[in-house]
Amino acid sequence: MKISKKIIDNLKKGGVDFYLSVPCKLLANMIDILENDKDVYYSAVPREEEGMGICAGAYLGNKFPCIMMQNTGIGNSVNAIVSLLQLYQMPVVFLISYRGTPGEPVGAQGGMAKITEDILQTLRIPMLHCSSEKELDKISTFSKHAKVVESPVAILCDFNLMKDDK
Amino acid sequence: MNRFDLLNKVQNILKDNLVICNIGLPSQELYKICDQPNFFYMLGSMGLSSSIGLGLALSQNKHVISLDGDGSVLMNMNTLATIGNRAPSNYTLLIIDNGSYGSTGDQRTFTDEKTSLKDVALGAGCKNVIECSGEETVNELNKAIDDKDNSYVIISKINSGNVKIDPIPLNPITIRDRFRKFIGKVKYL
Repeated sequence: MKISKKIIDNLKKGGVDFYLSVPCKLLANMIDILENDKDVYYSAVPREEEGMGICAGAYLGNKFPCIMMQNTGIGNSVNAIVSLLQLYQMPVVFLISYRGTPGEPVGAQGGMAKITEDILQTLRIPMLHCSSEKELDKISTFSKHAKVVESPVAILCDFNLMKDDK
Repeated sequence: MNRFDLLNKVQNILKDNLVICNIGLPSQELYKICDQPNFFYMLGSMGLSSSIGLGLALSQNKHVISLDGDGSVLMNMNTLATIGNRAPSNYTLLIIDNGSYGSTGDQRTFTDEKTSLKDVALGAGCKNVIECSGEETVNELNKAIDDKDNSYVIISKINSGNVKIDPIPLNPITIRDRFRKFIGKVKYL
């Protein structure tokens, strides 16, 4: 719970007040925290691409949105990212459980893991890759950066960082 | 009645609300009929007009109308489940259902065959789902906005067909900023 709490605390410190998720077991503790937090909006959504649309609307309504998802969700959302969030220069934080990184038991997750950072780089999305606890301290500044540059940003949390966060 | 006729009929209602307008010809036609700063023209991301409107309705108190099409809702059908479970009362989804992909040359959609978006919306958990003719749409839309306790999905069944029209000449950041300024969120303009 310590890692999950630190991530949410830092996102809130960065101003994020509207959260969506397409669940992942590595995000489960964060979802628990958000479901019990009366200061921010939280909902699950069925699909990441749809979540990008809801985040865009939340931004228009002056919220600072974050969508939590597995890295596979980036694959589901490329056009929404480029033709909506980037076209209109909308700040949204992607909080990504980086499935398929070392420690991952499910082989099928490896394919998207191999290309996730390439996709984000191709999309010119600033990335913060968190493989240890101390990197989580950068999350609040990095989130604020999304607003300054009016762009989506991506925070990648490695499998091994999240897996024992009981 | 086609989409252009319907948009002409509902324009006075749209002017008084925040509107998220679907990609392509719906946006181009609405722009031609009565461009307003409180209209957000979605220039890309087919399928997401309903979702953008939902996020906006959840984030502030003004009434939001998402203008969508049957082809677009078919592309993002999970939106109906999210709306059914999460839409606040300041949200109306108006699906202009002409049974055709209007912007790409009027190819038939599945709503022109076996699919009923009304049944899908009801099954997805939307409570107030109205299917009506183009002529009835003004009345149904007014009722939906006047009801301060419930959100609505209105499916307006009209004919296919488009008018000849130019692309919207506005740049996306202009659309974004004048929209946010209208709802009082951008101070620097």
